[in-house]
Amino acid sequence: MISYVCKYTPLELFAGFGESVSPLNQLPKTIGKADKIAPSNLCGFSRSLIELVEEQGVRNLILTNCCDSMRRVYDILKAKGNLDFLYLLDLPRTDEECQVDRFADRLLALKKAYEEHTKKTFDRAAFLASFTRNQLPQEPYVGILGVRAFPELEEEIRRSTGKKTVNLTCLGSRDLSSDLAGMAAAPDEKTLFRLYAQALLSQLPCYRMNNHTRREKIFLDDNLVGIVYHTIQFCDYYGFEYAQIKNRVQVPLLKIETDYTGQSLGQLRTRIEAFAETIGVMEKKGAALTGEQRHMAEREGYFGAGIDSGSTSTDVVILDKDRQIVASRIVPTGGGANVSAEKCLQMALDDAGIPREKVLQIVTTGYGRAYLGEGDGSVTEITCHAHGAHFLHPIVRTIIDIGGQDSKAIRVDENGNVTNFLMNDKCAAGTGRFLEMMAGALGLSIEEMAKNGLSWNEEITISSMCTVFAESEVVSLVAQNRAVPDIIHGLNRSIAQRVGALANRLGPEDGNRSTGSTRDDATLMMTGGVARNEGIVRALEENLHRPIYISEKAQLCGALGAALFAVERIEKDLKESK
Amino acid sequence: MDVRQSFAAFLQKTLEKNPAAARQILAAGYRAFLAYGKVHPDKRLSPAKRYASDEVMKCIIRALTKPEECCMASLFVPGELLAAAGVNPYSVEALSCYLAGTSLEKVFLDVTSREGFPDTMCSFHRVFLGASDSELVRMPPFMVYTNLACDGNMMTFPYLKEKREIPAFYIEVPWEKNEDAVQYVRGQLVELKAFLCDLTKKTIEDEALADLVAGSNRASFDYMRALSLQKTHTLPSMMTAEMYGIFMSRIFSGTKTAETYAKMYLQDMEQAPASDAIRINWVHMFPFMQPSLRQWLNFSPDICLAANDLSADGFRIVDENDPFRGMAQRMVYSIFNGSATDRADYNVALAKKTGADGVVIFSHWGCRVTIGAAGIIRDALEDAKIPAIILDGDGCNPGNTPDGQILTRTQAFVEMLQQKREHQ
Repeated sequence: MISYVCKYTPLELFAGFGESVSPLNQLPKTIGKADKIAPSNLCGFSRSLIELVEEQGVRNLILTNCCDSMRRVYDILKAKGNLDFLYLLDLPRTDEECQVDRFADRLLALKKAYEEHTKKTFDRAAFLASFTRNQLPQEPYVGILGVRAFPELEEEIRRSTGKKTVNLTCLGSRDLSSDLAGMAAAPDEKTLFRLYAQALLSQLPCYRMNNHTRREKIFLDDNLVGIVYHTIQFCDYYGFEYAQIKNRVQVPLLKIETDYTGQSLGQLRTRIEAFAETIGVMEKKGAALTGEQRHMAEREGYFGAGIDSGSTSTDVVILDKDRQIVASRIVPTGGGANVSAEKCLQMALDDAGIPREKVLQIVTTGYGRAYLGEGDGSVTEITCHAHGAHFLHPIVRTIIDIGGQDSKAIRVDENGNVTNFLMNDKCAAGTGRFLEMMAGALGLSIEEMAKNGLSWNEEITISSMCTVFAESEVVSLVAQNRAVPDIIHGLNRSIAQRVGALANRLGPEDGNRSTGSTRDDATLMMTGGVARNEGIVRALEENLHRPIYISEKAQLCGALGAALFAVERIEKDLKESK
Repeated sequence: MDVRQSFAAFLQKTLEKNPAAARQILAAGYRAFLAYGKVHPDKRLSPAKRYASDEVMKCIIRALTKPEECCMASLFVPGELLAAAGVNPYSVEALSCYLAGTSLEKVFLDVTSREGFPDTMCSFHRVFLGASDSELVRMPPFMVYTNLACDGNMMTFPYLKEKREIPAFYIEVPWEKNEDAVQYVRGQLVELKAFLCDLTKKTIEDEALADLVAGSNRASFDYMRALSLQKTHTLPSMMTAEMYGIFMSRIFSGTKTAETYAKMYLQDMEQAPASDAIRINWVHMFPFMQPSLRQWLNFSPDICLAANDLSADGFRIVDENDPFRGMAQRMVYSIFNGSATDRADYNVALAKKTGADGVVIFSHWGCRVTIGAAGIIRDALEDAKIPAIILDGDGCNPGNTPDGQILTRTQAFVEMLQQKREHQ
């Protein structure tokens, strides 16, 4: 068995030796061995690869020098691995004539090395018989682009979108357009391997190649209905490509970054599901009403509720059939998402003085939505925030939400439908958690911090974006006797910069419409609890050079959106049942 | 706020409204610094380092004010061909160093963050991309780049080539180190000559080129002799000044400037006093803007930065009879090409050459070439009984490194070396 990690690996060559081949892109169970021998800021895939070699007892591995990390993985495995056959294939970066010639020589050198290692004989017929095509489907599909994706991620995308997916990453999309007749008739190995080199290099290039304009073909395919773009922390190539294509592609695009561990999969699910909602391939199903409920609804009216189960707070909104808020509640999330949700819902019901059974639909949202027993269906917080924001302020086009453990920038159309969104959930910088930690470092409550930050005098720049470094920077500023309001202002600017960058990456809003000159007519809105922090709102306005609309119900926006979905589902059910 | 930070704040405000004005102000600032140095030279630096400082500064001023006379090049492109074509090359990394030295790095890093470029990418490249995207840096008429030594080049150059539609020449250096590989690169350098002649409308005579490569060899010879003297003699060290050798041995190679620098460096070493300062060899870039380290390390009488592998590797004696082959040899046999064990072995030999008490391996954030090699280099040094430490940090973004930690770790390492020497 030959393991490989790059689509340029000459798999057919090994078929000629009667060997089977297998991609090595699975998730390792742990990163124990890699932690000992590989640095932490080598890319996540490299570390996983080192671990997998040990975990799966890989004996034969072919690498290409596709990037700096892979070159160093080769060095590390060569020095500390325990493989029988480890080979680094020198891969050119273009498919010009002299590069093809050289690559053909490299392939022949690999063939010779394998012959010497195994004493096996190369069978040309078996080699030629192994060529297969792998062309793009003639039906709508979601493309997975960027860097290698682990099978579980691919499966999650397939499940969430309910669509056919095509792996177009640097390990997928292996389609060789080969001159098989020419190869069969090749008078010698040199001619044969030159044709083979040409076929390998003429594949749709990965971004590491020096001719990536040919990658445009991917984005222009008529059957491509959406793109999930995967990047890995410390893999710069694909982060770089994403930055260039994000405003150009014509189909919905979702960027996800992982560290190539299973830990991130749960968080990614939210985004993939929200993405599925934007491309309209996932129906927002709710439980159907019973006959008795329909009868009651028509006789006495009805209520719909939304529960937003966040990492910091759980929010509930109850709407009547006219979409009027009859009750709302915010409680800290503690003792489990389920307990908080039940408690919060009951408090809201008590406030409104209505029995539980009159609430015909409950829609849940937020990180805890998957764990809630309550609820007749769930919608991601991205779609709910958009729906709630549009309800509160119909001219809104861009929404910024700073949550407890993530921050989001959401772009909506004139109907409040999500057209694009970006999230930062891999690091605490620019999130509510960052604020909490900094408040802790300053010995203040969040409320005190919000208030004190408004009376600043001197601009201080907090240069560290990392929460841990920023905390030590704050401690040293306190030690230097810098005024606390000035430090808070510096922190507010730091958050504004991080979150502002997220909003900027969405690109300009559609059309030539004004983005507003006052807060009341602003098309940018901030939702979530942090919207009440005037210092951060001002810093964001300064960073983005535009006013931000703040609603009194900003913190309830997610729950409000969920409650609106609940009411709409009841309406739809009643209409369809007639 | 000190003068540099005030200047940076003023420049940032100007840049938002008028990039051309910001460029002129920055160049004026650099010229003023140059003029000040003529009247009040920093006598703590040796004459060679002062000379190099002025020459690199002139190169940067030219890149800012007269881009039409320049060529943007990656650090490892052989300078002789560019010099023969009368072109003034500047490296992306050098320009970023100067922008960071003017406390402007954050401005441009923020630009790239807004664009969505990965924060994990090399900050030297990100600063340059930010400066280019914000129009502080204007593009030259063409660029020359190579896959040696890092992926940063393979993002920055193709991106700007396509975005700005600039003619570009790419040199591919194979992984293997043998004569085949040398000939393969040689062929490309012959094509580069045609590319340069075509764009500059100048003729490059092979004889003139051979003279330039011979000049590089003379510089290499002097530089290596100077390094041998580090065992017994030392010069005051400054992290910024140690970086000049990197540019002299690479994109300045073949120029009179590089030859003069190496000659002066040898003279400085010959005249340097005998010293028992702790000698440190440094692997990769220096975190030259890290406040605590600057304060502690620069001009310390007790610690000397004896050699740097990024500089020393470029000073190689190569075939001067066939200048194209010679330049190709320097690229193919570079320790930054091929396996990390080559770089590890080279650093062991370099430490023995300079009598280094220890080696600091600076694992620059964003440089996977060095990050991945660091453990291998450290192991090889320790096997040779040479103490080594891996220091994580960011060479061009001091905000990305906990300042106190980097100082503590370096100081502890030096204390360890001092104790070791006392017990010998």
